[in-house]
Amino acid sequence: MLRQHGAVTTVDEYFRAMEGTDITRALLWHIAQRDAAPDAGNPLLSKAIAGDERALGCWTILPPQTDRDVMTPDLFERMAAEKIVALRAFPDMHRYQLNRVTFGPFLDEVTERRIPLLLSPRFGCDWPVLHPLLREFPNLTCVVCDVGVWGQDRNTWPLLVRFPNVYLDSSMVSLEAGGLEAAVRAWGAERLLFGAGFPYHSPHAAVLDLLHAGIGEAERERIAWGNAAALLGEAVISDKVRLR
Amino acid sequence: MNQLWHRFKTSRILDDCPIYDMHGHWGSTPGIALPAAGEGVAHTLLRQMGVRRLVFCHHHALFSPDIGNDANIAAVRKMPDVLRAYMGVNPNYPEEIEKDLARFDEYPDVFVGFKFLSGYHQLPLEDPRNAPVWEFANARGLPVLMHTWSGPYNGYENVEAVAERYPDARLLCGHSLFGDWDRAIELANAFPNLYLELTAVLIERGHLERLHAGAGAQKLVFGTDFPWFSHSHGLGVLLGSGIDEEDCRTILYRNARRLLGE
Repeated sequence: MLRQHGAVTTVDEYFRAMEGTDITRALLWHIAQRDAAPDAGNPLLSKAIAGDERALGCWTILPPQTDRDVMTPDLFERMAAEKIVALRAFPDMHRYQLNRVTFGPFLDEVTERRIPLLLSPRFGCDWPVLHPLLREFPNLTCVVCDVGVWGQDRNTWPLLVRFPNVYLDSSMVSLEAGGLEAAVRAWGAERLLFGAGFPYHSPHAAVLDLLHAGIGEAERERIAWGNAAALLGEAVISDKVRLR
Repeated sequence: MNQLWHRFKTSRILDDCPIYDMHGHWGSTPGIALPAAGEGVAHTLLRQMGVRRLVFCHHHALFSPDIGNDANIAAVRKMPDVLRAYMGVNPNYPEEIEKDLARFDEYPDVFVGFKFLSGYHQLPLEDPRNAPVWEFANARGLPVLMHTWSGPYNGYENVEAVAERYPDARLLCGHSLFGDWDRAIELANAFPNLYLELTAVLIERGHLERLHAGAGAQKLVFGTDFPWFSHSHGLGVLLGSGIDEEDCRTILYRNARRLLGE
């Protein structure tokens, strides 16, 4: 794999890279969850965030039929025990169909538990994947990440109209001049979650975009942390643990 | 952190650190619903961030010869304290080039130089149909913004050819030959009249730092492709990059002022 500029391996290094941004908590994933393999990357992430209350994690999912070492029957209990509050999927890199045929009962349960599934067009979850997936799971809590310019809004905004539990990561929305303001005007601040896009994108740029966007202070607060706190507060990771 | 970062965090506008954006556009474009395609929104955003100067070429001037550079004139005259334009050049329409060059001097308040979009127009920068523009710019020492990327029209060899041939024009490599970073640095170091412009470079971390280390701040010029990208984004990338305050100022406005003769 190519060397990524400024990549970090520990939570301490991550927050050092955030110097000056006022970012104090983060939902993290490890690139090995995509590039190496989820059975190696998921534990690597868990180990990295263990014991550090600033960090929560996302695990990568795989088809339950084939990858039983990752998709274990006690997956949700393990997630709760290891501060994993959301999921990610990389269907192109990991070569599967992210749909009801492959993930029916599993994503029904994820929907029921309101566990956010983070999907990124940048990482292979393009709109030909996203649109049918959400048609099949219309109540899935889904965060579409890394949505930027080049016509992506024309592909993304219809999802916001049709599916009430779709949210956008702000990092690339705000890359576009007036993008954040336009999204807030159209959907309200409640559909946006602050994202830094680190290490690919500059967290300082994401912060400055949010600070200087022409939106209200209450809207800024919601995007910065309020919406994320509410979303994660609704998630029932295991039957025994409800995140607050 | 750079002190400018802390100051820009609490204030959108710093009087002692203006933003000069040397690569902008204006208006709508077919592949994207730009929120700032409308003039009202664009004006608001530019005022909001206190952009001192945006030098742009209207999308329509680049893509529709039936509209042409009149779109640039109309746009600049609605915000004359901030906007200046590059005259758009499409060598597929040499008769339009001839007419445009003949009227360049009628609009000293509008045009500061020229813009080539060779990869889209599919004729190389050094194509003979572009020569009248190059000779005009070379004779007057004008800025010429080139879209530079990979491919046979505006890559390393094309830029090298015009840089050698027109040493008095001020060449701005828009997007800094995106991806061909080491050879962009090579060109910046080889030609005193050649600058690397940062539009799109700023999206991914690491590229700016590499160009700065190789070519130095004196050869980097701030640009955003506005209304594609926001000024707060470009500013955040620059100020968060670890580049010191003096070099940030050089990139943000000092080089541009020199290029524009301001």
